[in-house]
Amino acid sequence: MKIVIDPTRCQGHGTCAALLAEYIEMDKWHYPILSKNQLKDSHMEAAKKAVQLCPELAIKIVEG
Amino acid sequence: MTDSTSTSIMAPSGARRITLGWDANWKTSNPEIAFAGHSQSRTRLSLAEHISNYGRIPTGFTYSLVSDSLRVANLTGRGGAKFPFYKKLAAVYEADRKKGCYIVANGAESEPLSIKDSMLLRTNPHLVIDGLVMIAEVLGAKGAYIYVKDKEAHSAINAALRERRERGFTEAKVTVVDAPATYVAGQETSVIRRIEKGPALPKFSIERVAVAGVKGQPTLLSNVETFAHLGLILRFGADWYRSGRSGFDSGSRLVTVSGSVDRPGLYEVSSGVAIGDILREAKAHSVRAVLVGGYFGGWLNVRDENDLKLIYDDSTLGEKKLSIGAGILGVLSKETCPVVEAASIVDYLAEQSAGQCGPCIHGLPEISTAFARIALSSNVDRGITELKAVIPLVERRGGCQHPDGVIAHVRSTVAAFGEEIKLHKAGKCSVASSNHQSMLLPKNAQGNLAAASGR
Ligand code: SF4
Ligand code: SF4
Repeated sequence: MKIVIDPTRCQGHGTCAALLAEYIEMDKWHYPILSKNQLKDSHMEAAKKAVQLCPELAIKIVEG
Repeated sequence: MTDSTSTSIMAPSGARRITLGWDANWKTSNPEIAFAGHSQSRTRLSLAEHISNYGRIPTGFTYSLVSDSLRVANLTGRGGAKFPFYKKLAAVYEADRKKGCYIVANGAESEPLSIKDSMLLRTNPHLVIDGLVMIAEVLGAKGAYIYVKDKEAHSAINAALRERRERGFTEAKVTVVDAPATYVAGQETSVIRRIEKGPALPKFSIERVAVAGVKGQPTLLSNVETFAHLGLILRFGADWYRSGRSGFDSGSRLVTVSGSVDRPGLYEVSSGVAIGDILREAKAHSVRAVLVGGYFGGWLNVRDENDLKLIYDDSTLGEKKLSIGAGILGVLSKETCPVVEAASIVDYLAEQSAGQCGPCIHGLPEISTAFARIALSSNVDRGITELKAVIPLVERRGGCQHPDGVIAHVRSTVAAFGEEIKLHKAGKCSVASSNHQSMLLPKNAQGNLAAASGR
């Protein structure tokens, strides 16, 4: 499974980066950069939480 | 599949100003005029004229017949992606045959330097409609759309559709959808959203349009010119289509030539022709550089005649990291600094962001500012350093192709005009002109580079 972020929705709140520090860092304009997207099983819970907590519904977990 | 009329219609060869392959009535079409939205009196081919020119619309195609024919013809999409059309067709065909699919002819033509789609629809709407309905029949599509920018083209299609109804044609229903005159309106996902009655803004999707397009259904989306070629190939056969061939691409294509030329306008160009041949037809003069493919395309640095011997097909252009793109050749004269021109275009493009994605909203103005420093020789080293830092923060991070297109333009400028940039570094410029008027931007889009460089 992998994480995708819809850039057209994301408003750069950064909740995701706090939850998924290993995958997401914020750029200088405070938008998330996915440094890697293949989710480890052990991070699935955190990823699901990021999906739920993103205020713009910009994050998805998809097959692949 | 071959019709007896094929003998009377020649596959075009060379570069001709008038699109003989499909319209003998085409008068001059001046991009200046098209920019301002005026229309000259250009004749639309009526249904009767269309049929007497090209013959009846063939029916009874099967998927495999069409697919084979397109593969042999080697037809590629004419919107800039140079993707083999039969593969696109196959992707839609395989994605879903039961739920039904949609077909879309994209005539948004948001590149200001292009007039081909608009002119084609105004003068020859039946040929586009033919291609569209034939493919719709083959795929059993649920709906077919033409997405179109200008009013004249819209009314030409409507008139053509009316004629077809009056003649009792039983064919797929074609819906015409208006495209707003914005740069991003032509992005694939913008087209889909607009057809779904949303705004013409890009949408993020992990699936390709061929799999999930209009209403989430498989959608065959291609440039209007592609469908016109289909209308010809399915009548006269792939061999006819390839008969003008000498390079990698086969068939002809529509090319808009503008800038430092005495005869700007639309040309129908057969494969295997050199860029110089097309420019000679267009009476280009004082050629310093050519923008190949449009604003998302790249620059050909012209030092002497030899540089113009480049063959205008994607395999040859590819060796120079250029591509036919949307069929645009913008000729820059020696009175204009190419780096300044490029920076003006990049500044224009930065303003065309749809304003949805952070990296595009914040990154494009930074790219434009840095690039303007190089163009105006105000601080070349700083400009280069800033570009190196900001490009990785923008590239592949937008919701559509727009920012990557801008970056491609910047890279191509740096690659083509290294010597010029060196001059700028020394505080000089090969062209002594403080008052830059862009040759390749629409009149109403002349920005202010100095302001950009000081941001
Ligand atoms: S939480 Fe959502 S809106 Fe905020 S930065 Fe992450 S993806 Fe963007
Ligand atoms: S990348 Fe730019 S132009 Fe494309 S959707 Fe995002 S903001 Fe709009």
